[in-house]
Amino acid sequence: MVASLYGVKQAKKAIWIFLEQEGGKLEGVSLELLDKGRQMADNANWSLVGLLIGKDVSEIADEAFSYGADVVVLADDPLLDVFTVDAYTQVTYDAIMEHKPSVFLLGATPNGRDLAGRLAVRVRTGLNADCTNLNLDKKRGILVSEVTGFGGGIAALIEMQNHRPQMATVRPGVFPPGEPDKKRKGKVIKLPIKLEADTIKTKVVERVVGEGVDLTQVPALVVGGRGIEGDFGLMRELAGLIGGDVGATRPPVDDGYIERERQIGQTGVVCRPKVSINCGVSGAFHFVVGVQESDIVISINTDQEAPIFDFTDYCIVGDVFEIIPALTAALSSVKELAHG
Amino acid sequence: MEQTEQTTKDQIYIIDDAKWDELIEITHGAAAVCYQCGVCTATCPWGIVKDETVSVRKFMRQAQLGIDNGSEQLWLCTTCAQCDASCPRGVVISDVFRGLRQVAWDHGKPEEGLPSVLWSVFWNQNPWSQAPSQRFAWAKDLDLPSFDPENHEILFYVGCTASFDKRAQKVSRSLVQILNAAGISFGVLGDDEPCCGESVLNVGHKPYFLEIVDETMKVFQERGVTKFLTVSPHCYDVFKNHYPQMDGFEPVHYTQYLAVLIDEGRLKFEKKLKHKVTFQDPCYLARHNNESQAPRKVLGAIPGITLEEMENNASDTLCCGGGGGRMFLETAAGERFSDLRVDDALYTKADILVTACPACISCLEDSVKSKKLKDFAVMDVAELGAQALRAK
Amino acid sequence: MANLHMVVCLKVVPKPEEIRVDKKTNRLERTDARSELNPPDMNAMEMALSIKERYGGKISILTMGPPYFEPLLRVGLAMGADHIYLLSDRDFGGADTLATTYTLAKGVEKIEGVDLIFCGEESSDGATGQVPPGLAEWLDFNQITMINNIELAPRKKTIRGRREIKAGHEILEVPLPAVVSVAVASNEPRFMDYRIKDWAFEEERMTVWSKDDLDVDAEYIGVSGSPTIVSDLAQAATRERKREFLTGTPEEIADKLKVILQDAL
Ligand SMILES: Cc1cc2nc3c(=O)[nH]c(=O)nc-3n(C[C@H](O)[C@H](O)[C@H](O)COP(=O)(O)OP(=O)(O)OC[C@H]3O[C@@H](n4cnc5c(N)ncnc54)[C@H](O)[C@@H]3O)c2cc1C
Ligand code: SF4
Ligand code: SF4
Repeated sequence: MVASLYGVKQAKKAIWIFLEQEGGKLEGVSLELLDKGRQMADNANWSLVGLLIGKDVSEIADEAFSYGADVVVLADDPLLDVFTVDAYTQVTYDAIMEHKPSVFLLGATPNGRDLAGRLAVRVRTGLNADCTNLNLDKKRGILVSEVTGFGGGIAALIEMQNHRPQMATVRPGVFPPGEPDKKRKGKVIKLPIKLEADTIKTKVVERVVGEGVDLTQVPALVVGGRGIEGDFGLMRELAGLIGGDVGATRPPVDDGYIERERQIGQTGVVCRPKVSINCGVSGAFHFVVGVQESDIVISINTDQEAPIFDFTDYCIVGDVFEIIPALTAALSSVKELAHG
Repeated sequence: MEQTEQTTKDQIYIIDDAKWDELIEITHGAAAVCYQCGVCTATCPWGIVKDETVSVRKFMRQAQLGIDNGSEQLWLCTTCAQCDASCPRGVVISDVFRGLRQVAWDHGKPEEGLPSVLWSVFWNQNPWSQAPSQRFAWAKDLDLPSFDPENHEILFYVGCTASFDKRAQKVSRSLVQILNAAGISFGVLGDDEPCCGESVLNVGHKPYFLEIVDETMKVFQERGVTKFLTVSPHCYDVFKNHYPQMDGFEPVHYTQYLAVLIDEGRLKFEKKLKHKVTFQDPCYLARHNNESQAPRKVLGAIPGITLEEMENNASDTLCCGGGGGRMFLETAAGERFSDLRVDDALYTKADILVTACPACISCLEDSVKSKKLKDFAVMDVAELGAQALRAK
Repeated sequence: MANLHMVVCLKVVPKPEEIRVDKKTNRLERTDARSELNPPDMNAMEMALSIKERYGGKISILTMGPPYFEPLLRVGLAMGADHIYLLSDRDFGGADTLATTYTLAKGVEKIEGVDLIFCGEESSDGATGQVPPGLAEWLDFNQITMINNIELAPRKKTIRGRREIKAGHEILEVPLPAVVSVAVASNEPRFMDYRIKDWAFEEERMTVWSKDDLDVDAEYIGVSGSPTIVSDLAQAATRERKREFLTGTPEEIADKLKVILQDAL
């Protein structure tokens, strides 16, 4: 049997979390993992360690402590300014091989997945991707991961007995974010960096945040139908709050309220967001084809008999102009939703 | 990258001799006899809605010269056969269009969205990207028996749209009610029901269509299917005119079947309705299959219905815009034939626009909604018929 | 780059809505389920074909799986790929990501001279997007994942891939050889070219390699090469919509929706 580079015996009783940061702020999913990791560590009496990589990011360590980390292993170097899979895998590998944690968790973000996939092979261990739940069996020291497949139709529990670290990725939003405790303190361990610029093959040519529509790839979709009477401002506000984008049925497009590129449906864009919110949409077949792949469908319609409700998880019989403002108000009161 | 797309799309194909032969073969030599009079261009309904008409004549010319510029216009044709009917040389122009489309599939780039339709037929056995295992979900509560040639008079072939489209499902259900009321013993194929391939044929992919024909015929033979009725005139047309007509193979459109039942006294509509209606002849019944009497016969058998004809009726009908793969392509607002048709219908002062085709319903109902009409409905013959059955 | 050699990893998966868990054996029951090519892999194929159209080169299809995959893999040839390599051996069975990527990498090595590998973003049957980086690691190739657009600089021998990130996008550049994974639905896969369908079904278009044909370490393949084990399996909620009606004042409904959205996003 294939063996990991270190085994159960050498592994330390520690849960490691990859602390993903963007512009000096920790990603929501990292905070969620810290909280979950804290609970598991407390239960098993293990330690919780955050791995923080970047350039001039040492200040973030305090945030990690306040969310539960006992220790932050810090890799700070100009070459680590933006994420490149080459550099980050190398640094993470060095850190892991030095400290030999038993569990290593990452957010299933594009970067988290890139890193996890390469690292698992490099240390010859298993990787449970996109877990929907995690549990640390404290007697055996084994991480039990729940994953789903087949569009969520099948759930499986997965574990590894002989390989370390036990790696898993978790999508943003699976675990609730914890409450920070500003008084919590921890220890920072600096990692010596042995990177050469020319070993980094990946070049970031362009990076634009907050621009461009590709409705096929959005995580959340707010659709306005004829029933919203062209009030796409309302739709945009909601979409902005949940990190999504706006689509429409054909009639508002016909009436010139919104660009044709945003028409959802058989003859428009077919989307597969995590959530779609249909506002004042009746649910014609040509439209439904465009949102049927959504993980969750929410619909708001004044007509209880509207066919859209047959394709909906959460049905709201009500006036868009009452429900949506109430919803945006409720959402504005929480700072921001994590989105991945 | 965008550029590659562009160049392939607008590429001009100078078709060599081999391709020319191919084209003539694909179009059964239809193009060859055209003498460029231009009557077809003048009759094409696109002329009414677009400033620039679809120059059917020009396409005929290009087909003759073996040039296909793969333009968007090629995909506009709804295969409504209006032009076929008027051509003095008897050219089956819709066939020429299908042939030109086949050339585009082979040598260029078909219209965006259409490859997905073919893939859906390939993976899902329906063009609507619906899970094949859900094909008979609409009839879950109806307990329809699986077709058995020994015991059943006829097979009810539902077809993809009438199986999956919620609106069209109402037509299917109405038809079941009527058949039951007339005491017909019938069965269905359930989740095994194959797609007839109509959309594949009409977007011009003949080779794949022929493969579908083989597979469908295999299922029909295994299940002992001979006589069957369809909801959609499109399925009916494909079975009737593009499938091998084996011994005993007898597709009928449901309006034809009901018309016979009425003649035989087996079907009676006993409840009186009070409606003035007008009738939209589906192209695939009235023109492609010369059938405009059957639906009228059924309407005439419903007590209390008066039929007020529109200007263009029977074989002179105006297409709803949904044929020839147009159900999968966007038609800009203001260019939809169905808008014109609803105006025609309103002019008759009818309160219901009746038709007998799921595509017509889709298009016409959309136009009715966008005109924000009140007290005016689009219904299928079967739905009206079901309303006129005596309440149990 | 007329001699650009591309590999597309295609996977045959059961239609997700038709898969069941056999309660007795606690295993996936997939024999009755219809199969399809993993939808994101179709997008990968389309992207490779667009490169081939523009720069030439050839496309090999690479799959690890049982022989019954064959007819569906031929679909890839009919779309425009040149050859199929099917890695098929009983001992490859039961592989998790580590063993799968190892075996595929051995296949790539045996094919020789591969410049660019395309994978789907993830596969619908559960292996979630970890194959592309793992494969790249075994081969020591560069990687760009989840891209929806690619550009090739043929003389410089680099690729640029664009990917969507949180409310924006980035463009990454790496030298060849490289592995890319293609975002689902990022393009429209072309339909099969029926003029080459007979060609696509000719026997010599496909090579089957067993473990003896590949230079593999028996410890690294199949079950023995897989660190993870499935300890339990369950049928999760059906894919049917809930149709749950939320009631109350607009504010009460908004609060319920807020919780639903926070859980989902
Ligand atoms: C060939 C063809 C292709 C098509 N392609 C597409 C396509 O790609 N995409 C697409 O969307 N359509 C498409 N259509 C049109 C489609 O058939 C429907 O007409 C369209 O989707 C209806 O849009 P809607 O639901 O917004 O409007 P309607 O059907 O008019 O529904 C409006 C709904 O809003 C509700 N409502 C009204 N006021 C309120 C309020 N204040 N609060 C809450 N609810 C309210 C009403 O009860 C009603 O149910 C196509 C049609 C054809 C024929
Ligand atoms: S078949 Fe109808 S739409 Fe097509 S060219 Fe002829 S008249 Fe025009
Ligand atoms: S009507 Fe007939 S003969 Fe005249 S241009 Fe059209 S196809 Fe040719």
